[in-house]
Amino acid sequence: MTAQRRPGMDHEHHDWSPISTREVLRWPNNARLALCVIVTLEHMEWEPPEGSFSTDVVGGLGIRPFPDYARYSHRDYGHRVGIFRVLDTLERHGIKPTVAMDVQTAEKYPFLVKHCMERGCEIIGHGISASQMISSSMPVEEEADYIKKAVDAIKKATGSVPEGWMGPEYGESAHTPQLLAQAGIKYLCDWANDEQPYPMHSPSGEMFALPSMLELDDVHALWTRRVTVQRYGLLLKEGFDAMYRDGEQNGRVLVINIHPWLMGQPFRIGFLDDALGHMVRNQGVWAASGSEIIDWYRQNRPKG
Amino acid sequence: MASTSNRVDYSPIINRPKLEWPNGARVALWIAPNVEHYEYLPVQDGPRNPWPRTPYPDVQQYTYRDYGNRVGFWRMLEVLDKHKIRCCVSLNMAVLEHFPEISKAMMDRDWDFMSHGIYNTRYLYSYTEEQEREFYRDNIETLRRHTGKQLKGMLGPAISGTPATPDLMAEAGLIYHTDWMHDDQPVPINVKSGKLISVPYSIELNDSPLFRLNYEGDYFANIVKAQFDQLYKEGAESGRVMCIALHPFLIGQPHRIKYLDEMLTYIMSHDGVWQTTADEIAEYYIDNYYDEAVAHSQQFRA
Repeated sequence: MTAQRRPGMDHEHHDWSPISTREVLRWPNNARLALCVIVTLEHMEWEPPEGSFSTDVVGGLGIRPFPDYARYSHRDYGHRVGIFRVLDTLERHGIKPTVAMDVQTAEKYPFLVKHCMERGCEIIGHGISASQMISSSMPVEEEADYIKKAVDAIKKATGSVPEGWMGPEYGESAHTPQLLAQAGIKYLCDWANDEQPYPMHSPSGEMFALPSMLELDDVHALWTRRVTVQRYGLLLKEGFDAMYRDGEQNGRVLVINIHPWLMGQPFRIGFLDDALGHMVRNQGVWAASGSEIIDWYRQNRPKG
Repeated sequence: MASTSNRVDYSPIINRPKLEWPNGARVALWIAPNVEHYEYLPVQDGPRNPWPRTPYPDVQQYTYRDYGNRVGFWRMLEVLDKHKIRCCVSLNMAVLEHFPEISKAMMDRDWDFMSHGIYNTRYLYSYTEEQEREFYRDNIETLRRHTGKQLKGMLGPAISGTPATPDLMAEAGLIYHTDWMHDDQPVPINVKSGKLISVPYSIELNDSPLFRLNYEGDYFANIVKAQFDQLYKEGAESGRVMCIALHPFLIGQPHRIKYLDEMLTYIMSHDGVWQTTADEIAEYYIDNYYDEAVAHSQQFRA
């Protein structure tokens, strides 16, 4: 359906709200900026099931014919090696990780589930696998079933229903936010359009967007745009500096999505370490997990 | 039976028996020049087109690579010699037949020889098992005929393979496969018979993917040094492998060669570096750690 030419959004998921007109949002202890790092733990299949949709699952030497040993194993590096460097780095800076975990990780890597839980990570839903995105090519019943499978797998692995969700490759249909709300999801990280959380219209209970900064996603910067790792470290710092400055007037949230197969490589991890160190050295930075940020927002957001 | 989906058992690097390299080295460093020949008039017999830019021949792309054998290799060699590097060449076996001076230069330096297929324009994707068996016989025989050496490992031709590749490699008596980018240590690969491991190669510290894109020599040197620093730090706890992958047509360009010198000068100034080859890493690992690693990984099964 094409957009209706009238004020406001061209969809019903949330209201139009320019940040310039909003009342002041304050974080705990009057922090200027809430910092959230999402660590995406996702598995790539050798051969995705017939009929599944995905954008190019990047890595390796680009998409090569089956069996693509280089790409498959490059992604698997994240689960075997990279994740531990990323978690160590976050821990060093006192940042509680928000781990976006797909079904295949939850079911096939019990060590990692336990490890993440023991280290105090929050685990959020992340679909079935990196090679099976949600998209409008899925009938709505199939999408509801997909979401249920993903939520159930996290519940089975961790003992709790995930509060948050990030779709593989930010994939959604036009039904996804409503279906997620019906599945008990409280916040959604796919929407990359803001520097504050915001309410989404939900058919059941409250749901909020926790927007991530797409340009600071490591895959987007380092792989898609081929920014050098030094420049990426600087992007993180420069982005933080501007949001920290703006956060003095009205609180900001900085959500960074990191993929251990990429940022967890030996030559890259130091640049994440350096950038996060730069951020948390500042007074008034609240490092928190997704649900901590959304819980605060739900109770303390300016009304109207 | 092992298939692509269960070729490798999960094993988190933080929870493995300590890996100790000879003489207490922290990092096993191997340098892998890819010495290749791309055919002038290849035959496309599978899903990948060797020269997709034009109908064959593609003189621009063919000569760009052949420059590596005529010029780049020799420039690269001067820097490797300066640092006394003993390489493990990733070799298109036909180079031994086409270019005897290159063959002799590698033999004179006592390099180890890993197969990278026969030509870089002949991929494995479409091979039947019987064709692939014949392919290993050809690789083994060609190497033995020209060097007297026994073939131990392979980086698939242009990093191609079939689902059966690890089984057939092991059946042919090879002991390591470097198409796996999954770890900073050797890892057992499940095969029907014999023993096969992966030895970490790199598609990140690799001039080919880097210089196809908008990166340059200074960036390559910087990330190699950063990689070394991190692995060297971690290697104090348990040994790590670091590979630098080179292509003479790229690293041997006049505007890049000084960055190879820079990175090797940096790394080789450290103690605790085992400058070795994939052959030696594989033999050492299989002799000392293979059985323990296989047993250890069983606990991580879902």
